[in-house]
Amino acid sequence: MSWIGTLGPWAWGFVIIAIGIVALYFLKLRRDPIEVSSTYLWGKTIQDLHVNSLLQRMRRSLLLFLQLLMVALAAIAVFRPGIRDDVETQERVVFLLDCSASMQATDLEGGVSRFETAKQLIQGQIETLSDQQTAMLITFSDQAETVQAFTSDRSRLLTALNEVVVTNRTTDIMEAVRAADGLANPRRSSQVGDLNDVQVAEAQPAKMYIYSDGCFPPLSEFNLGNLSPQFVSVGSQQVSNLAITEFSAQRDIDASDRVQVYAKVVNFGTAYRESEVELRMNGELVDAALVSVDPNQEQGLAFELISDEFAVLTLELTAKDDLLIDNLAYAGLTPSKRASVLVVTEGNTALEVGLATEKIELICDVTFVNPDFLTTLDYQKLVIEGRYDLLVFDRCSPTAMPAASTFFIGALPPVDRVETVGFVGRSESEDDLPVAENETISSAREEAGAGVGAENTRIDANDVSTAALEAASGGVLDSNESGSQSWAWSGAVSSLSIIDVNRTHPLLRYLDLYSLLVFSGQPLDLPDNATELIAADIGTVMAIANRNSYQDVVLAFPVLDTDEAGEAVANTNWYAERSWPVFLFNLVRTIGNASESTAALSYRPGDLVRGTLAGLAEGFMVRSMSGRKVDVTLHDQVRYETLDTEELGCYDVTGEGELLERFAVNLFHRPESAIQAKVELELGYENIQAGNVELLVRREYWRLALLVLLIVLVAEWWIYNRRMV
Amino acid sequence: MESTETILPPSLLAKLERLEFASRKIFRGQLKGERRSRRRGQSVEFDDFRTYVPGDDLRLIDWNLYARLDQLFLKLFQEEEDRHFYAIIDASQSMGFGDPTKLFVAKQLAASLGYVGLCRADRVCVQAMGQQGRKAPVLRNRSSLWRMLQYLEEVSLGQNESLAASIRDFSNRHTGSGIVVLISDLLDKEGFESALRMLVNRRMDIYVMHLLSAEERAPEIRGDCRLIDCEDQDFADITLNQYAIDKYLSNLSSFTESIKSFCARRSIVYVPVSTDMPIDEMVTTYLQMRGVVR
Repeated sequence: MSWIGTLGPWAWGFVIIAIGIVALYFLKLRRDPIEVSSTYLWGKTIQDLHVNSLLQRMRRSLLLFLQLLMVALAAIAVFRPGIRDDVETQERVVFLLDCSASMQATDLEGGVSRFETAKQLIQGQIETLSDQQTAMLITFSDQAETVQAFTSDRSRLLTALNEVVVTNRTTDIMEAVRAADGLANPRRSSQVGDLNDVQVAEAQPAKMYIYSDGCFPPLSEFNLGNLSPQFVSVGSQQVSNLAITEFSAQRDIDASDRVQVYAKVVNFGTAYRESEVELRMNGELVDAALVSVDPNQEQGLAFELISDEFAVLTLELTAKDDLLIDNLAYAGLTPSKRASVLVVTEGNTALEVGLATEKIELICDVTFVNPDFLTTLDYQKLVIEGRYDLLVFDRCSPTAMPAASTFFIGALPPVDRVETVGFVGRSESEDDLPVAENETISSAREEAGAGVGAENTRIDANDVSTAALEAASGGVLDSNESGSQSWAWSGAVSSLSIIDVNRTHPLLRYLDLYSLLVFSGQPLDLPDNATELIAADIGTVMAIANRNSYQDVVLAFPVLDTDEAGEAVANTNWYAERSWPVFLFNLVRTIGNASESTAALSYRPGDLVRGTLAGLAEGFMVRSMSGRKVDVTLHDQVRYETLDTEELGCYDVTGEGELLERFAVNLFHRPESAIQAKVELELGYENIQAGNVELLVRREYWRLALLVLLIVLVAEWWIYNRRMV
Repeated sequence: MESTETILPPSLLAKLERLEFASRKIFRGQLKGERRSRRRGQSVEFDDFRTYVPGDDLRLIDWNLYARLDQLFLKLFQEEEDRHFYAIIDASQSMGFGDPTKLFVAKQLAASLGYVGLCRADRVCVQAMGQQGRKAPVLRNRSSLWRMLQYLEEVSLGQNESLAASIRDFSNRHTGSGIVVLISDLLDKEGFESALRMLVNRRMDIYVMHLLSAEERAPEIRGDCRLIDCEDQDFADITLNQYAIDKYLSNLSSFTESIKSFCARRSIVYVPVSTDMPIDEMVTTYLQMRGVVR
């Protein structure tokens, strides 16, 4: 147990005022003049009193005694006396504060949000810190921010804490834990295994408090080392939350003015719930439904609307619950637009037939060109302008990737200028590298990309690039971050049989591909951000990867091949299957922007949003639903990107005065909506039980002092009035 | 201004007529009075014999004794003569306090004692201190009561002259010895000692009637106040709580004790008088008990 002094400048001011009051009391200038027969005896009395005036007054005057007692109590109250029961043994304390959307839940007593409660708890803990302790405050949602680095200045910590606000974002505790981990478990400066390498800093044990509701996926495979974690669970077990987890609107391909709206409502609460659901279009109620959902059950909703204009659709659950942010969902509608597809092939009947179905003709225009076209200026222009929505490369590959989504059949995307969403940071790192090292990486990649069956070469290339990148970034890159950035073959051409199909992906939805026969193909080596679509016995044979705002799909085997005589021969029986035209339809619809052209994409708060300008950079602007102008970064007058997507709702992208496109920002994150507070946290290799933070909270006594002060004041007033009477 | 009846109620006059001063000293008077004198005189009261010496009044020779003893003896008789009685009233501003005021009580006392003197054919002079005392009449016989009361009625709270200066002035103007009654609150910042010492030197039979009002003996004022002296406008800032009051009472007690002690050492009769005691009771009972009158 120890006493804590918390006097700030303002408190000293109060103390001076209190002293002034006491001084004024004794030097009180205003006295009632009373005429007496003689001051002869009084003068003697005063002389006697002057000898021990102060003490005698205090001893004899009850009123003065009470007044002094009041001043003393006021001073005590100002001093904010407090004790704490438990003294931290660790000198360093790290506070992790969850700022994610689920912390907006108001399930705690008094309707106070979890976030505010967590802030109060942290505030209480900061106030119990001794002068020898230093603390750090880190907030985390889908990204972590160190709002206050290590300091022993409690006022700075409190100021930083007060400035923290809750976000609409999802939760990822990893970065926050890493920031704390950086202090407690310093890494070596460069490569492991280097005998000359020494640890750059001494390990600093630290106590890490995690103030969260635990509404995020468990964080495994993380070594806490010197960090001593304590989980403070903020939130209750009995919650009530109906959430919209999905909401989309798409135009009917057959009739573009018909809009099909689909939504899913999940009950994340602990009791059965009912609610009305209101669907609004541009603010006007157009439809409604009633949902009745048992705990942990979900219910789908479908609506049908008629509209061929730009529209903002809003779906709202009218029943109030603990978390309001997921009771509202947005979707944008754009007028139907035909997609443009360019097929580069020397001749492929399967493609021609597959892209000529009625359904596909409804949504896109298809143009066939010869591979020679890739060397022309028109193609270069096409690369810049992004005139086509989808380019299909049949057994050929361009020298530079176009500003459009692509589908490669039996070929790989070019190695140069490969930029994918997941590699933005890495690309910047590369820019910082010395020229020689960059060349090393490029050459290594070329070798890796070009070499058929050159597995060893590829591995070496990866090692080189990883080593160079780690050296450039000070060795902070984790080993699992290093990996391939481009498409490559990972094996020789051989026969194959399909063993797995990712049917949950929109591209392969409704497709039955297990009966396919493929004569020959090569396994793919995927970029980091790629998703495997079809796996064969030899490896991945079909995958999709993001590239800026585009998507690239690679099929590792040709549909048609040419024999030695130059005749076209089938490499697979896919073109004869019903799944072939359906796949092509999905392809055009999904990555060919055919669906995007009719239904706005939905992102999560804080997500990076990228798009193309289609040459309309003049007066380009993105506005949120509240009319706020969004901060946007323009690249080459061709594409834009923004991270300023914190606010929920529909965002309008305008250029040259007209609405170009629209995207929506919704929570749509089940772990965030599942707001039942966790009592245990899986962090690294440990399971951390929620601790009781009450014991650590500073016990305040100033309120008691203030109460006694008021009682004394009443007593003094009563005595004073009694004397007056 | 108080009426004559108020100063000296008629009911009291009858009682006063039966009283006389219990003076411990016998003084030579100027006129024949009603009290025995140490001197031999011509009264009817026999006192002593003494042998004849040439020059004695032959009328005083006791011829019967000469016939029996054949020696000449003179027959001596007690003399009866008058006495000087002075009452000095303090009429400073401080005497205006109390209910009734100390000055009024002082007037009553002076008038009562003066009337006792008049009834005994003494030479009575009741006067106020300071300038007002200069015109005080010297009175003899009870018919002068009216003049005495008239003078007393005219006495008002006057100049604030110090006690010592007033007594010096009195001593200079009244050279004879006699009884002097000083009626005052003695609250003089220059002290009372020099004044009393001056009277003692005149070999007077001195009575000090120390007048204190109720508010002086037990102050009821409390709180933070500025006490202003009514005489010299001096002030004292004080917080009057019980402790201060106790301190004041202690000082008052030691003040009266010092007067009493001073008086005792100089054969001065000290009589503390409270203003809230009825004059009737004060004169007939209290002063008798204190040995002022009998």
